[in-house]
Amino acid sequence: MSTHVLGGPPRSPHNVGPAPVEHEPGFIRRYVFSTDHKIIGIQYILTGLVMAIAGAALATLIRLQLGWPEHHWLWLSRLLPVGMPSGVMTPEFYLAVVTMHGTIMVFFFVSFVLVSGFGNYLVPLQVGARDMAFPFLNMLSYWIALLSAVTMLASFLVEGGAAAAGWTAYPPLSAVAAAVPGSQMGQTIWLLSMALFIASFTMSGLNIVATVFSVRAPGLSMMRLPLTVWSYFIASILGLLAFPPLTAAAVMLLLDRHFGTSFFLPSGLIIANKVLPNTGGSPLLWQHLFWFLGHPEVYVLILPALGIACDILPAFTRKPVFGYRISVWCLVAVGCLSMIVWGHHMFVSGMSPFSGEYFSLVTLTITVPMTIFGVNMLASLWGAKLQLTTAMLFSLGVIALFGSGGLGGLFLGNATADMQLHDTYFVVGHFHMMIGGVTLLATFGAIYFWFPKMFGRMMNETLGKLHFWFTFAPFFLIFFMQHFLGLQGAPRRYYAFTAFDYLQKTRGQNLVISIAAMVLISGQFLFLVNFVWSLFRGHRAAANPWHATTLEWTVASPPPHGNFDAVPVVQRWAYEYGVQTIDGDFAVQTVPSVSA
Amino acid sequence: MNALADDITLREDQMRLGLWMFLATVTMLFAAFTSAYIVRRSGSDWRHVALPPILWLNTLVLGASSVTLEIASRAGLERRWRAAGGGFAAALVLGFGFLAGQIGAWRQMVAEGVYLPSSPHSSFFYMMTGAHALHVVAALAVLLWSAAATWSAGRDVRAWDAQVGLCRTFWHYLGGVWVFLFALVSLY
Repeated sequence: MSTHVLGGPPRSPHNVGPAPVEHEPGFIRRYVFSTDHKIIGIQYILTGLVMAIAGAALATLIRLQLGWPEHHWLWLSRLLPVGMPSGVMTPEFYLAVVTMHGTIMVFFFVSFVLVSGFGNYLVPLQVGARDMAFPFLNMLSYWIALLSAVTMLASFLVEGGAAAAGWTAYPPLSAVAAAVPGSQMGQTIWLLSMALFIASFTMSGLNIVATVFSVRAPGLSMMRLPLTVWSYFIASILGLLAFPPLTAAAVMLLLDRHFGTSFFLPSGLIIANKVLPNTGGSPLLWQHLFWFLGHPEVYVLILPALGIACDILPAFTRKPVFGYRISVWCLVAVGCLSMIVWGHHMFVSGMSPFSGEYFSLVTLTITVPMTIFGVNMLASLWGAKLQLTTAMLFSLGVIALFGSGGLGGLFLGNATADMQLHDTYFVVGHFHMMIGGVTLLATFGAIYFWFPKMFGRMMNETLGKLHFWFTFAPFFLIFFMQHFLGLQGAPRRYYAFTAFDYLQKTRGQNLVISIAAMVLISGQFLFLVNFVWSLFRGHRAAANPWHATTLEWTVASPPPHGNFDAVPVVQRWAYEYGVQTIDGDFAVQTVPSVSA
Repeated sequence: MNALADDITLREDQMRLGLWMFLATVTMLFAAFTSAYIVRRSGSDWRHVALPPILWLNTLVLGASSVTLEIASRAGLERRWRAAGGGFAAALVLGFGFLAGQIGAWRQMVAEGVYLPSSPHSSFFYMMTGAHALHVVAALAVLLWSAAATWSAGRDVRAWDAQVGLCRTFWHYLGGVWVFLFALVSLY
């Protein structure tokens, strides 16, 4: 019988005794089918960045269409003869592009890079472990994730093209092949790819929770964990509990699509002038199951972004984060509340006013811990002499977008206001600022901050700062303006607004947004150049170039296989800045305290 | 030596934690099916289909396999390896018997003209029992793994017990899920 209490005094199976002596693995075992969490993390990050290029290409198509809705892009008609036969996008292709942009960015960019990528890379290092609790499962998770990504991209090539029912895949559009070309094989592939993604994400989340629980270094109590680890811990638990209902819904949708069941298809549905034989199904059932996942999923994405920003800030304010304990409990509270607010996505579905009141109330309640967390981030800046490095700029950008985007959430969480704003660009502006912008800026912040640790070289700061401004300014402009488009009644997912008199005056705004989007996308070349150049030519990085305090900075850059030569013994919390030690104005977590 | 023992204990803890987290995800999966069942149940086209009586026998078989697994586990702890091996063999046979019985139930329903899309009730029945059967297949693989450890020579009782503990948790859990599902589709 084991006497070890999980979550109690931390140990690591690999932390016991000296580093294991292993023979050097070959190239394939080391870099391809690796079980090393660092390699797997980098694999996720690189795969996610490639997927981001695909997602950005789709965003470019969307903005070309909305900015210049009647322009004939002849060169595009040669590239996309089906979707843009005369150089103008067909409405069906626009739907597929919007669907795949959302799907790729949410599940295959942010989830890959920020959650699985940095989660894999950082969590074992920051808890002082040699690897994840289940390294083989971790490798399996990456390869299944890659398969799901390739499968999703391949759906562009099947008859009818990629799925076109939105990233939320609402039936009946997603359930009936005749509804839209993308609802043929493309939608089936979308569902299968998502099933693979969920399997992979579950393995990854399970690993992170088990790692945080069971292989923390000696002395690293839960309340000494960096906020990054806390955020991954909470996000992983959310993912484990919220994704299975989507799996269930996906199974039912597949059965509706291919085996004649009527889970989501109602009676008397007419599509392509034919009455479907289905009876009694409920499209709203899908919405409940989808959003039971969908809302926690936004916290799965945004919590790691906030955790990462909280870890970058003190390195450049040179003072501890403000209100650490309260921030931790806010993360826990947000995690719990996020599971019971899904109905605020469905205020217009005809739900009972009492249900609407309930969902409004709990949604507005969740803003309390979120606001406290945001105020703690702001207070962390108070009185500090800011060092405006690129990573710091991106972290400040996280706070800015979190504050402004969050404000829109107050309107959407209120059922009365949401009735007006539902399915308008207000919603698009809001969620892009939150799960698009906060996560994007945190991802870049994380890359600039931990690139030296990952690759042993520094990124170029001048290019980095230029990249920040070319990212933050157009991003803010685009999605701030989209709130106002929404207030004017512009509906989302429409491929053109030319047919509506009341939206004629928004054409100029859409043009400005499209130009800003081109600036934003062009600005990302600065990042790509910097990333590739720095990989080979960047200045060599020291073990702790930012004079930061967490455990990953105690090992070489890049860390060796097995991470730590000796067991790190943690003596302090994660934010010991503003103290005088022989290292400077900070103490890494392994430095004994004076009283000790 | 102590470090090694410590390592093994920790590995067991991690495996146990991993299993419980996995079971939490499976619970959420079946909770989603159940909530969908309850919602869909209120539809005007809901029609209960007759469920084959063999399901009662299957339930008994699954229950018996859990009992034999417990007997095997206790026998192993008392180092009565022949009895433990026999218990595992019986649990395996009964486990495969349950699976065969479920297939038999589906075949009977098909023979009576009750197919997947025949009614919402039959759709849920096939889907939920199918999802359960897939998990049973995975659990049978785990059962086989533990049985192989029991039949092989040179066992370390503590490691064996830890492995069998995982197997028992998974198997009994699926037994519980089956009783719940059977009650749901029969009574509601």
